[in-house]
Amino acid sequence: MTLAWRPWLYFGPAALIAGGLAVALTATSDHEQHPGQTIALFLFVSSSFILAGLIGWTRRPWNRTGTLMVAVGFGVLIGVLSEANHPIPFTLGALFGSLFIAAFVHLLLAYPSGRLLSRRARVLVGTGYAIAFLAPLAESMFAARETCKPHACPENLVLVSHDHAAHVVATALWTAAAVVLFAAVVMLLLGRWRETTPGLRRILRSVYLFGGLSIVLLAIGFVVTPFSGVGAVFVSVALIATFTTVPFIFLAGLLGTAIARGAGVGAIFSSVPERASPDEVQEGLRSALRDETAVVAYWYEEDEHYVDVEGNRLDLPEDTRRRVVTRLDYGDQPVAAIVHDAALLQEPELLEGVANAARIALERDKLLVEVRARAQRYRALLQAMPDLMFRISRDGRYISYNAPSERDLVNDEVIGKLLWDRLPVDLADRVLESGRAALGGDPSVIEYYLDFEDGRRHYEGRFAASGDDEFLMIVREITERKQQQEELEASRQRIVAAGDAARRKLERNLHDGAQQRLVSLSLSLRLAQNQVAKSPARAEELLEASREELMQALEELRELARGIHPAVLTDRGLEAALEALAGRAALPVEIDCVEDVELPPPVEAAAYYLVSEALVNITKYAGASAVKVSIGQVNGYALVEVVDDGVGGADPERGSGLSGLSDRVSSLNGKLVIDSPPGAGTRIRAEIPLE
Amino acid sequence: MTVLIVDDHPSFRASARTLLESEGYQVVGEAENGADAVKAARELRPDLVLLDVQLPDIDGFKVAEQLRRLVDPPAVVLTSSRDRADYGPCINVCGACGFVPKADLSGAAIAALLVA
Repeated sequence: MTLAWRPWLYFGPAALIAGGLAVALTATSDHEQHPGQTIALFLFVSSSFILAGLIGWTRRPWNRTGTLMVAVGFGVLIGVLSEANHPIPFTLGALFGSLFIAAFVHLLLAYPSGRLLSRRARVLVGTGYAIAFLAPLAESMFAARETCKPHACPENLVLVSHDHAAHVVATALWTAAAVVLFAAVVMLLLGRWRETTPGLRRILRSVYLFGGLSIVLLAIGFVVTPFSGVGAVFVSVALIATFTTVPFIFLAGLLGTAIARGAGVGAIFSSVPERASPDEVQEGLRSALRDETAVVAYWYEEDEHYVDVEGNRLDLPEDTRRRVVTRLDYGDQPVAAIVHDAALLQEPELLEGVANAARIALERDKLLVEVRARAQRYRALLQAMPDLMFRISRDGRYISYNAPSERDLVNDEVIGKLLWDRLPVDLADRVLESGRAALGGDPSVIEYYLDFEDGRRHYEGRFAASGDDEFLMIVREITERKQQQEELEASRQRIVAAGDAARRKLERNLHDGAQQRLVSLSLSLRLAQNQVAKSPARAEELLEASREELMQALEELRELARGIHPAVLTDRGLEAALEALAGRAALPVEIDCVEDVELPPPVEAAAYYLVSEALVNITKYAGASAVKVSIGQVNGYALVEVVDDGVGGADPERGSGLSGLSDRVSSLNGKLVIDSPPGAGTRIRAEIPLE
Repeated sequence: MTVLIVDDHPSFRASARTLLESEGYQVVGEAENGADAVKAARELRPDLVLLDVQLPDIDGFKVAEQLRRLVDPPAVVLTSSRDRADYGPCINVCGACGFVPKADLSGAAIAALLVA
């Protein structure tokens, strides 16, 4: 705190000189009946204001209250001029002797900041100064005759007339003006009192009480003095008693904040437990600051905003006349802030003391509150997640859950249940094992299924630690993906099985056909060899049979080779291969192939086998009289269509022929559509992407 | 020497019969599957069974084991259009005298196996 001693340098000596002059003037006055009492009164009142004012000025250089008090003190001393025996100081004293009353009103309305903050207050104070000058002027211009004792008053330099009627009118007019002004001041103070904050009331209470009383007594005094000498004396005594109290009230207020400061800091350390929670720290601060509405805000570094003791985001309010924010920073780094009653600004030592003490506690709490804020954010995040989520304790008990869709809950009762209450035992064991692994820093994923009334559903559970002794299980349904996977797997297996079957069939065909013929051929040749010498005719017979056997073996080998891969497809392309296929078919086949169609070899092969197998099926089952085959290319897709006019009713689920076709097409990411209404033929259409 | 020929292919049975008879063997019967082969062997009591490995019901190795358990069991020579190597050690453990590929079948080949 900075103490400004400079005012003492000027106003201290000034007050001493003025006081000395006052004593001299009063002591030498020829129209003062009680110089001793008057001197004592003037010195006592003025020195009280000046001394208290200078102390205030020193302690609060930025607050004008002290200045105003000094002004009131010197104002009081101006009145002593009327004790002078010379006409000029006498007249000046009479004219300016009342200014201190206006200064006092100014002081009262400007308290506690020393500044007039409202327009009404400024108007009132301005009017007060005007009346304080004009009223004595009028009074002196139309003064009553001979009011001074024991000698006549010095000459009144502004006297216009001693006319009694004019005197009464002037006095009444200005008395009324003064009373109205005082009433307005009292009204203003009362209004202010009503709408002020509790914190400010504490500061204003005694000052308003004694200041207001002085004003009321002044008003009464103005009214009573002209009529009753005894009443005037009575009111004057009361007024002096009250008026001289005011500076001490101010002084007490100033010293009081120093006392309060010690009490406030003490309160923090005494009423807040050693390991206080943020809530308790806030309570401690409230009682130390004597402000029940004070709010502590902690700086949350991660998101760069303040949070309250609960961890919720708190945006600091703009300073208003009722509430202000005191920021507690550490260097450039925000630590915390206190939102409090604006009145505390009038007690900066209290605020500073409390803030300094609090900073340490708040710095420590910041960590705790940050954790809360983070937890708050996680909670919000989890609430927003579309997944089923469970919080589960280390021992397998459900703590809470978030289920966007109730259909995924095997049982509505969750919280408080054990894993084994709700899930099959082996799954519960797996969940706990994975959860504990996650707690050990090894997050994992499991896949599992549950059987519901409407069928089996597959899920994927992810695990993450959400505390020292609890973990999160985040569940996502993967039934669709699983089904697709299974379908794909089944289709792959069918392709492999079909390949195996085809190889087995090929081996069997080789073994039963060509190989047997070659074996026979070998034996026949051996026989012929044996017979060449003994019976040439028999040998020739055997050789002829052997040649027949060989021709048939060759034909069978050709047929087999075509089944493995049609040479014509490799050599001459799809259209030629299809034409060859049509030529060998048992029924008329029309081929409609788009000119210059160029398909990748796998797609060509798929199209060839599709048509080949479709023709086999049609021959076997359809009872058709004609088949039409079309090959086309549209938007990056190859289209293969086989249409017959047979009995229809083909079912892809039945028989391996159609399902084999479907697998072959889907292995190329294509799509096979079979349209086969009973009695209306069959349309098999394949769409295979070229990329 | 009496022979029973067991094979599901009639063309092979015919060729084999012609071949073996031309080399002095006496073919006493033919069978086209394993069950018939065992039955025929019990009835005909041949000296030798020429047994195809691949039969429609039970395979030749099992037939060979059953034949071995007969009273006064016949000698068994396995044959196949496949190569000996395709069957690995099976031929040695089933109690057969040996194996002759169909294409190499001759009286001399069988005689060589029986001596050994």
